[in-house]
Parts: sequence; structure tokens; C-alpha cells
Amino acid sequence: MTFFFIGGDAPARVVEQGDDIVVLVAGGELDYAASPQIREQLAEQINAGVRCLVLDLSTVTFIDSTAIGALAGAAMRLHQLKGGSLAVVCGEENERVLRIFEIAGVTNVITLHRSREEALSALAGVR
Amino acid sequence: MRTTLERDAASRAIGELRLPAEASKLGEARAYAYGAAAQLGLDADSCYEFAFAVNEAVTNAIRHGAPDEHGHIHLSVCCDGDRLTLAIRDYGTFVGSRQQAAASVERGRGFALMSHMVDAVQLCVESESTTVLLSVART
Repeated sequence: MTFFFIGGDAPARVVEQGDDIVVLVAGGELDYAASPQIREQLAEQINAGVRCLVLDLSTVTFIDSTAIGALAGAAMRLHQLKGGSLAVVCGEENERVLRIFEIAGVTNVITLHRSREEALSALAGVR
Repeated sequence: MRTTLERDAASRAIGELRLPAEASKLGEARAYAYGAAAQLGLDADSCYEFAFAVNEAVTNAIRHGAPDEHGHIHLSVCCDGDRLTLAIRDYGTFVGSRQQAAASVERGRGFALMSHMVDAVQLCVESESTTVLLSVART
């Protein structure tokens, strides 16, 4: 499992490598200034052959339509690849970000999970 | 969770803002909108939603519109009783390109999201500019 950090002040960090699940952790405000980086990070993983992606948004305080679009694009691409899946983590306490996902109407494309553990379990079931 | 918007709200004045048409300035637009809504007395969730809507409109202006001769788009606030209106003006006339941008899994959600977050959205297309008016009322 590989961890990457997107945005915020924390550096990218690799926690563990070895299987085919990659966890990306994004923080702060995901707007049009940040969404290209998200899109590129997700594309880089998919292009490298990763099919099970977890994107942890637990510490994200703002997400706009361009960032949601980037996630939806990656999720669609993974769906079209055999066995691919994008699991997004957003806890109950992050009500504002959750609400944006719901209003955006993307929960049919992007699977939301309340914890990283829940997302990893769901992906383990897919593989 | 306390956000940058909330931290900056107290220091933002209502009036006009000439914002460089750059993605890196979106946080400034959100803080400006949040501050205006806070001054009207809206609660934190309503201020956040208003700032969200303004962020979408400014993003559209940066992506699809055109700045003035100094590279700016213009934000202005008008308060009429219990109603707050924030106008976002750019100098493009690009309604067609905005509509064309909707046909993609990655695009086309901004206007719907924006409309969900405020009481009223008005689009004013003139020969040399486009203005989006976002209004919210104190209940």
C-alpha cells in the first residue's frame, strides 16, 4: 500500500509499498487551483497500472466542482477498466464536504466511505 | 472544523474587489464573500454556502471569461435590507462556450451547485461583459 499527500503543508509520505492499493491523502481547500494536481496524481497512478485507489479527504475543508469533476473523471476511467475502483473517504464530521458530494450528484460514480478502514475493506472485497 | 474562510472573515470589508483572474486568487474571493455574508449576520453554514457559490462563479469567470485590461475580474457587494447580492463581472461574452463545456463527466456541475447554495442566480450578458449576480437573504 502506498500513501501520497496532496496539497496542504505536509510532504508526500510513503507509508508502505507492496500490493496494488494506493492511498492518496488530500488536505486543505480543493479548488480550481488544486484540482489539476489531483487530476494528475490520480492519472499518474492509473497510468502506472494501479486499479484500486483510496482518496482520503478527511482533512479537506473545501471542495469545488472542478475537484469533484477530477474525481468523477478518475472514477469513470477506473470503472471502465476491469476491476478498477476509486473509494473516497470523508467522515461524518466533515458535513460540508459531504454535502457538496451529495448535491453534485456524483455518489453513483464515486463511492464515499466514512473511514479509511471502511474504504480499504470495500476495495479488498472488490479485488 | 474551522476553515480559512472563518479565520479571515472578520478582516474582510464589504465593497468592491478587483481580483486578478488567477486560480491562486480564489481563496481571496471566498474570504471576501464569506466576510460579506458574515457582516449581514448569516450563520457560519450560510456564509460557507455563499462563499461556495461565489467561488464557482469566479472559477467560471477565470476559466471561460476574460479579465479587464489590468487582468482583473470585478466583485462587488450590494446590501438591500436583509438581502445580500454579490456581483461577479468579467469582460467576456462566452455563454456559448459555457454551455458547450457541460458535456463531460468532469464538467457541468458548477452552475447547479451554485444555484443550490443561494436564493437567486441572475446572469446578465452585455455586449462587452458578463455578470453573475448571486443573492441570499437573512431569514
